[in-house]
Amino acid sequence: MPLFSAEHKTLLKTFHPAVHEEYAEILNSLAGFMEKELMPLSSKFDAGLEPIGPSRKRLLENGISQIPFPTTYGGLGLPFSVYASAIELLGTADASTALSVEIHNAVAEGIFRFGSEEQKSNLIPHLVTGKRLASFALTEPGSGSDARTVRTTAKPTKDGYVLNGTKTFITNAGEADLYMVFARSEKGPSCFLVDSPSPGLKFGTPMSKLGMRGSRTCEVTFENCHVPGRNLVGVEGEGIDYATQILHAARIIVAALNVGISRLAYDKALDYAKQRTAFGRPISEFQLTREKIADMKTGINAGRLLYYYASHLKEEGLDYSSEAAQAKVFATEMSLRVCDAAIQVFGGYGYTTDEVHRPWRDARLLTIGEGTSEVLRLLIASRELARSS
Amino acid sequence: MSGEIWSLSESTSVASEVAAGAQALANSMQGFVAVIIDMKEIRDDVHGAKKRLLLKGGENASGPPEVVAESIFRAATKLMPSVILVGATRNGREVASRLAIKLRTGCLAEASRLSLEDGRLVADRSVYAGKVTARISSSLPCVSTVRAGSYSRTDDIPGETQEYEVGEIAAKTKTLSSSKKESGTVDLKSAKVIISAGRGVKKKEDLSMLEDLAKDMKGALGCSRPLSSDLGWLPEEHHIGLTGVNVKPDLYLALGISGQLQHIAGMKDSKVVAAVNTDKDAPIFQASDYGIVGDLYLLVPALRRALTARRGTR
Amino acid sequence: MKIAVCVKHAVDESELKIDPSGKPQLDGAATKMGTFDKNAVEEALRVKAAAGGEATAITVGKAEAKKSLKEALAMGADRGVHVVVDPGALDPRRTSELLAAALTKTGPYDIIMCSEGSSDTYTGLVPPMLAERLVLPYIGYVRKLEVSASGVRAERSLEESLEMVESSIPLVVSVVSEINEPRYPTLIQIMQASKKPVQELGADQLGTPDSPPATTVLSMSAQSSNRKRIIIEGSPDEAAAKLLDALVKEGVIQA
Repeated sequence: MPLFSAEHKTLLKTFHPAVHEEYAEILNSLAGFMEKELMPLSSKFDAGLEPIGPSRKRLLENGISQIPFPTTYGGLGLPFSVYASAIELLGTADASTALSVEIHNAVAEGIFRFGSEEQKSNLIPHLVTGKRLASFALTEPGSGSDARTVRTTAKPTKDGYVLNGTKTFITNAGEADLYMVFARSEKGPSCFLVDSPSPGLKFGTPMSKLGMRGSRTCEVTFENCHVPGRNLVGVEGEGIDYATQILHAARIIVAALNVGISRLAYDKALDYAKQRTAFGRPISEFQLTREKIADMKTGINAGRLLYYYASHLKEEGLDYSSEAAQAKVFATEMSLRVCDAAIQVFGGYGYTTDEVHRPWRDARLLTIGEGTSEVLRLLIASRELARSS
Repeated sequence: MSGEIWSLSESTSVASEVAAGAQALANSMQGFVAVIIDMKEIRDDVHGAKKRLLLKGGENASGPPEVVAESIFRAATKLMPSVILVGATRNGREVASRLAIKLRTGCLAEASRLSLEDGRLVADRSVYAGKVTARISSSLPCVSTVRAGSYSRTDDIPGETQEYEVGEIAAKTKTLSSSKKESGTVDLKSAKVIISAGRGVKKKEDLSMLEDLAKDMKGALGCSRPLSSDLGWLPEEHHIGLTGVNVKPDLYLALGISGQLQHIAGMKDSKVVAAVNTDKDAPIFQASDYGIVGDLYLLVPALRRALTARRGTR
Repeated sequence: MKIAVCVKHAVDESELKIDPSGKPQLDGAATKMGTFDKNAVEEALRVKAAAGGEATAITVGKAEAKKSLKEALAMGADRGVHVVVDPGALDPRRTSELLAAALTKTGPYDIIMCSEGSSDTYTGLVPPMLAERLVLPYIGYVRKLEVSASGVRAERSLEESLEMVESSIPLVVSVVSEINEPRYPTLIQIMQASKKPVQELGADQLGTPDSPPATTVLSMSAQSSNRKRIIIEGSPDEAAAKLLDALVKEGVIQA
């Protein structure tokens, strides 16, 4: 099955009846690139034998990040769901690259929504074409879900701020040349852009993760790191509000990413089930294997529709924070079930073959990152209760 | 129409094969005669048909296809063959194409099996990268390219040789030089055992390990397209595939070959296929009788050891 | 320099399905630009970059063939020409007839670039037929091309030799896939491709009314593949020994 499949086409047609063919061309072309240039390297990325940087750069140059941004800033001005779909495909091709690109784009979205005109026109065109790579630095050793308690400080100076503190679990850290950092100024948590290299900006050694091993994750330390005043994004003290908004959108994309990972696991398991024989028959004939196939496919379709729906609400300018959270919670938890079932279908080979267990290892991050399932459930319930009153 | 079935190729081995094909057609139906076409000089090592026609003037068979085609055209206008079969080499395809347009006849392509039915030439050929066999036909007279490896050369030696003068022919292009590609003395089409190398082989030097295995197994060395065309590690004549050589060995051992359709198309008629690849999902395993998911760098020495053990030497 | 590049909207052979009776499902089959045609487009664009001028992508095919033209336009061709007709699956004569007429009508061109053959029904006949019909020089299976205002020098890749060939312009050329790595169009280029002009022509406009194909397709049937697909397990030495046993049993190697 080609990476960009008939199912994807049908979904585009459903949500964008007038222009689905144009969107299909774009996604088909991206998929062609991913299939040829990324997918074959995926296991090498996972094993640390190849860096994702060069192919990520080519992918960005090709235009994947341009999709949701307006043409005035170098974007393509296409619906958010088309971008989400692109990340689903990328999640199938190589989850580590997808995570890296998704984070990078989240920063671009943040600058677009909350930055000054100067920041937008200086940065977005470069970010969306891969001339610059961004990283989102919010989480700290002592502050994760409770983001408002960020302890990195931003003290005012003559011409800007000086940052001190530590961020952890930061994707693209050490590779990116632009960091969106959330630090506490006198007015409260605020959002800053830090260029790299900068004196006082230090990176830890890459962390050894269970999955997403192609993506570089490490600590970022600020030691009297000076930031010019013009690098403050938006209003001092509103930083966490910006982070929250950025994360709502990012959650739709994370949902798509994990649907992509699930699809990879499912496709492999389906193929294997048709070929592998036991007791003289292909295992695809056994009911308990069929149950898994049915549940996997249902989950993937449900995940897709949820991220499409959340995208649609965002495109319409409607409140989508609950739906985005629903999509993420469902898709990430579903992906673990699907990837786990795939390992089971492969039997001993599932446990002993990197390529079969990698999807599960990659998927495992995202019930945690960018909003834990626990916190998001509270968000959903709170929104739904507010809506129903 | 004269009932003659002309056959030709610039390659002597392919010419013999096509001649055998022509003779098989002639044998199958009353009133048809197979003729080997030679250009400028007689090639004694081209066998397979009972008659020979030598075209004098022009260039020899390995000359510019444009000139070869015009020579044959001039003779054909006079002698009116029913069928002209051209070996499907790169030059051969050009010759056949030009002939079909000049003579205003149909042109069948890449035929692996030919027959005459109801006054038409019928050919079987492989399409869609080997997934499908198409049976195509054209009314007579017509031209057809014949896939190399489709017919085996026979010992039929031409009894009579006719001659025909085609005169001077100019070419529109100028050949400045011709250099032989680095060649081994490989004849994959007649090999009973073929050891084939793919991208799993990391360095050109490592091919010697596979050559040693080929020697042990009394086989020939072939490869997939990347090794000959992209990397240039082996001459093009070793390339097995849709756009390369078509082989039918008893044993085809694919080492480090992923098994794309374009490659399978060239070896799917092998009697037995065995494959070694580190990727258990590699399509080659679908096209194999026996597969080992493993590293050829371990398996090739292991196979050599096993062969030695079997043969009791050492 | 005016360059024309011929592309075919081909059946995607890797996605072609076979129905239970063994017939290929050609109606509604997945399609794509012929694999080797991308190399031809890429080479046309390189010649355009080096020599200046304009590249026209041309195709003969059903309405759907427009997609391959769009791809060529997205890669960088300047305009497209679409001869709208169903030329029949295996008839290079008809295809070359229509192409020649369309090239004459929309030309003249200095270089007509083709690939070595289509990826679905490879015959390799159309480019030389085109040259014969247009009475132009032809250089086939080119793996390196040098173009100057006065002419062309090309390296031909044959089975056992390489030839250096010279020709004047205009001419027809077919290229092999080793000649280059086709570029990926950026998404912006894909979106802008729809703005580039595409001229549609019908067979009657070309003065070549639908003539019956010279080649008739009698049947199409799937090639069966009854491979055993046995996976041999064990350490390298164990697997090697088991494989040899199996091969001896099959009678393909001597005991």
